[in-house]
Amino acid sequence: MRVLSIAPEDSPAAEREKSGDRWRLLREPLLHFLFVGAALFGGFHYLNPTPEGGADTKRIVLTKDDVRQLAISWLAQGRSAPTIEQVQGLVDQKVSQEILFREAVNLGLDRDDEVVKRRLAQKMDFLAADVAALQEPTSEQLETWFSRNAASFALPGHASFRHLYFSSDRHGRVTRDAALAALAIVGGKSPDDIVGAVGDPFMFKAHYGDATPEQTAKEFGPDFSRALFQLTPGTWHGPIQSGYGWHLVWIDAIDPGRVPTFSEVEPNVKARWIDEQYRQIKASALADMRAQYSITVPVIEASDLQGLQIPPGTSTEFEVSAQ
Amino acid sequence: MRMTNKRMLLLSSSVLTLAVTSVSAQERHAYFGQTHQHTSWSLDAYIIGNTVTGPAEAYQYSMGNVVKHPAGYDVQIKTPLDFQGVTDHSEYVGVIRLANDPTSSLSKLPIAEKLKVTKDNPAVKIFQWLAGSIASHKTIAELSDPKLSGTVWQENTAIADKYYKPGQFTTFCSYEWTSMPNSQNMHRNVFFKDCSKLPPSPFTAMDSDHPEDLWTWMDGQRKAGNEVLAISHNANLSNGIMFPIDVDSKGNPLDLAWAQQRMTNEPLNEIKQIKGVSETHPDLSPNDEFANYEIMNYLIGIDNSSSKLHGSYAREAYENGLAMQATRGYNPYKFGVVGGGDSHNTVTAYSQSNFFGAHGLVDATAKARLAGKVEAGMDILKTGTSGLTAVWAEENTRESIFSAMQRKEVYGTSGVRIQARMFGGWDFDKGLLSNEDWAKTAYASGVPMGGDLAPADDKVPSFVVNAVKDPADGNLDRIQIVKGWTKQGQVFEKIYDVAWSGARQPDPVTGRLPPVGSTVDIDKATYTNDIGSVELKAVWTDPEFDPGLHAFYYSRVLQIPTPRWSTYDAAKLGVLPPSNAPATVQERAWTTPIWYTPSPAAIAKAERGLTVDDLTKSGSTALTDDQLKQLAVGKIFKVRNTVTNETFDVLFGESGQRVVTKVNDAAPRADELLQAMHPSPSGSAAYEIKDGHIVTTIDGTAFELTVYTSGDKYIAARSNEFGFANYEVVSVAQ
Repeated sequence: MRVLSIAPEDSPAAEREKSGDRWRLLREPLLHFLFVGAALFGGFHYLNPTPEGGADTKRIVLTKDDVRQLAISWLAQGRSAPTIEQVQGLVDQKVSQEILFREAVNLGLDRDDEVVKRRLAQKMDFLAADVAALQEPTSEQLETWFSRNAASFALPGHASFRHLYFSSDRHGRVTRDAALAALAIVGGKSPDDIVGAVGDPFMFKAHYGDATPEQTAKEFGPDFSRALFQLTPGTWHGPIQSGYGWHLVWIDAIDPGRVPTFSEVEPNVKARWIDEQYRQIKASALADMRAQYSITVPVIEASDLQGLQIPPGTSTEFEVSAQ
Repeated sequence: MRMTNKRMLLLSSSVLTLAVTSVSAQERHAYFGQTHQHTSWSLDAYIIGNTVTGPAEAYQYSMGNVVKHPAGYDVQIKTPLDFQGVTDHSEYVGVIRLANDPTSSLSKLPIAEKLKVTKDNPAVKIFQWLAGSIASHKTIAELSDPKLSGTVWQENTAIADKYYKPGQFTTFCSYEWTSMPNSQNMHRNVFFKDCSKLPPSPFTAMDSDHPEDLWTWMDGQRKAGNEVLAISHNANLSNGIMFPIDVDSKGNPLDLAWAQQRMTNEPLNEIKQIKGVSETHPDLSPNDEFANYEIMNYLIGIDNSSSKLHGSYAREAYENGLAMQATRGYNPYKFGVVGGGDSHNTVTAYSQSNFFGAHGLVDATAKARLAGKVEAGMDILKTGTSGLTAVWAEENTRESIFSAMQRKEVYGTSGVRIQARMFGGWDFDKGLLSNEDWAKTAYASGVPMGGDLAPADDKVPSFVVNAVKDPADGNLDRIQIVKGWTKQGQVFEKIYDVAWSGARQPDPVTGRLPPVGSTVDIDKATYTNDIGSVELKAVWTDPEFDPGLHAFYYSRVLQIPTPRWSTYDAAKLGVLPPSNAPATVQERAWTTPIWYTPSPAAIAKAERGLTVDDLTKSGSTALTDDQLKQLAVGKIFKVRNTVTNETFDVLFGESGQRVVTKVNDAAPRADELLQAMHPSPSGSAAYEIKDGHIVTTIDGTAFELTVYTSGDKYIAARSNEFGFANYEVVSVAQ
């Protein structure tokens, strides 16, 4: 409980400034991870001291047979034979899971609550998320982070355009010709200078403001949308085919998409930052715990994975039901 | 703590993107979405090989991202959706996935051993164990621990909230209630209006498999401020119990309260999904040349089974609903229609040309799909693409879309993005559609789909229909209006072609519009849009309107023929398309009907008809078994249907077969037989005489005919004609 009394969110900002070193320490993700873990589940530890702490609790040994077993369960999920890299990933996952499991047992999380007891590895994950969510980043921190990751916030392109529609219902096989003929009339003129009706009435709108590629694809079909976002303003383009016929298109404004400024997306940046903190905290906490273990895994070669077979009747036969 | 924090952040981030504007009904848009989606969290999905992807991937897929099919290959939707609710089975949700996930807590439980797929414990055995527990209400306590199901439910909600982008993509908190008494499909998808007041865990079929109990639970939710609605699905596989006309699922007689509770909680029905169409069946609608479309008829889990037709289809339910309204004063079947998927793959195929199955590894490859396999009763070759739900809503938000569902301004498609509108009214101008703002006028002077025509005297209703093709699919063939009505307990339907492509003229004799033709090259699986229309529209006035009769009208929009998915698969494999599946399909949209209810004055003017009550009050008595046998067996009855004035010659053979030999003194046509004493497209059916009735069994459903003496005449009444006695025996011959 004493941990919570000095948890970051409970302290005024001024104090944070003064007590520099202590706070730097407290911002270490691993500490947060352990503190919150202790705060949430520490009670169990006092009530149920760990009975044994044998030498083997810090040793994880995987044999080649274990690895083959991992590969077989991969196969049994209906996937194709795993590559060496994939098997290494499975081994890594297995080791991590075992570590998290044992760490949690050491904290005493396996007692009293049946569900907690059996969800240890996942609970440890949740704790990391809790720690990540507890942190209150400064705007500067977020802005710095944003500047490194700005590309992933790119906004879709937008186009404001007008179009003249030539309906294949009205013109049949010569619809494109009709559009071409109209282009000869309107070419060189701005849309505002066109006198009288050119083209056919359109089912939806004649003018679209700030439409995204996705919106345009939903309204006109994907091919039209792709063609439209290649166009430039200030002239009549076409004929361009849509799902409905042919169009002459005038672009008023187009932007191919842009990276937003920080202030436009600050709440999203914060959510993403917390997600990343979560992953980092998890990774560094695990790395730290892992450093305390001696881990033996066999060298895996392609030949070790030859001739893998799912035991007959395991799961190759699937039945559809309940639907 | 984690959930709360995340949600607060998400809420604050969505404020930026949510541009709430006040818009009126005139500016409603068609938004397309999925209301029926399973992921690896559904117990059956996991068993058939969908072991990795969950609700998050389902939303990512629908938003246009590339996601892995359970078999490991990449799939991507052609046109992203506007909204979606993931509807995993609420029963044991997530438990199989967790048991087989070595990183999960559940996999450490002793009970998990029973859920792991091994040699001695094959997938089907696990499924039978769990499904058996659902069916027998013997809940497996370790797996139903509220701590466990509650956690999965909360996670589901957190994912729905995370992917909700108002204005761009709407997600719903939803699940599937999986009631399946004796393998008869009674499933409902349950949708909540928002996710902030959800119950700790959903009401499952283990709590009760009676829909009435689900509705009562939903009533309770609503009272607590948690708006919720249900969508019934696969009526076609319900064995006739989805749309009962006499008793409810507990055997109690239907009444006004039952009808009201059903309509309040269950305003919608899924008319098309991967496992078939529930609009109508060719045997129920022999006059409908487009009824034979993606028909599936079996009981889930049972090989070589079939589902009873009567009580299993929406159109018949609409018709019986009118008759119930007319005779009993309530209509439990004024529902709207949507389309859905029911894919168990997290990802869903909407397009014939981008089809990748729907059942995990069972139908993951073209070869497996064309192999002619029947899995647990399901003929894979007969399954199809997902349907789509379309809603006419002001904006793409939970509130706006949910409201559209509640007022039933929704329609279903076979998977294509046809934009379909329909309005009914009394004063539409014939030239209305030439006005650019016609929809505004239609809203102002009529009602949209899902509505009721306002009462009016001495007028004839007209209907505005409009359809625009999917810009990434086939052109349109025609718009039809399907009309149903009831008279003296009998129900009728008629289909009108109201707008069509090209210069076709209806046949002057039959009234039928010639087919649109086909551009499909079956070997190459290609088609062109050289036939058909981009847009079709019409203002249509009912030429046979009778103001004294209850009626409904809905429209059906048909595309030109395009290759069916099985034809695309065959072309991919370089083999001939399977001979036992159609090579082409005419994709389509079905709107929700508009209903007409006659005023009391109009009813008073209409013909009243003769009821069984009238007969018994005037001293008529029903014939006994012996009297019936003496009167009927081995004889030909000439019977006049007093509603239609048609006559039928019916032979009750010595061998227990009843055959309609003549209609109006000529050989009977299939559609005429529907109005005969008992419907059967073949005209022949088994009968027996018992308990004072001639009982004829048609497609598995028993109909009773009771014969009364009335003076020197015999009058007969049929058990599904709501108390009317409509058949006069003209003569009896040897």
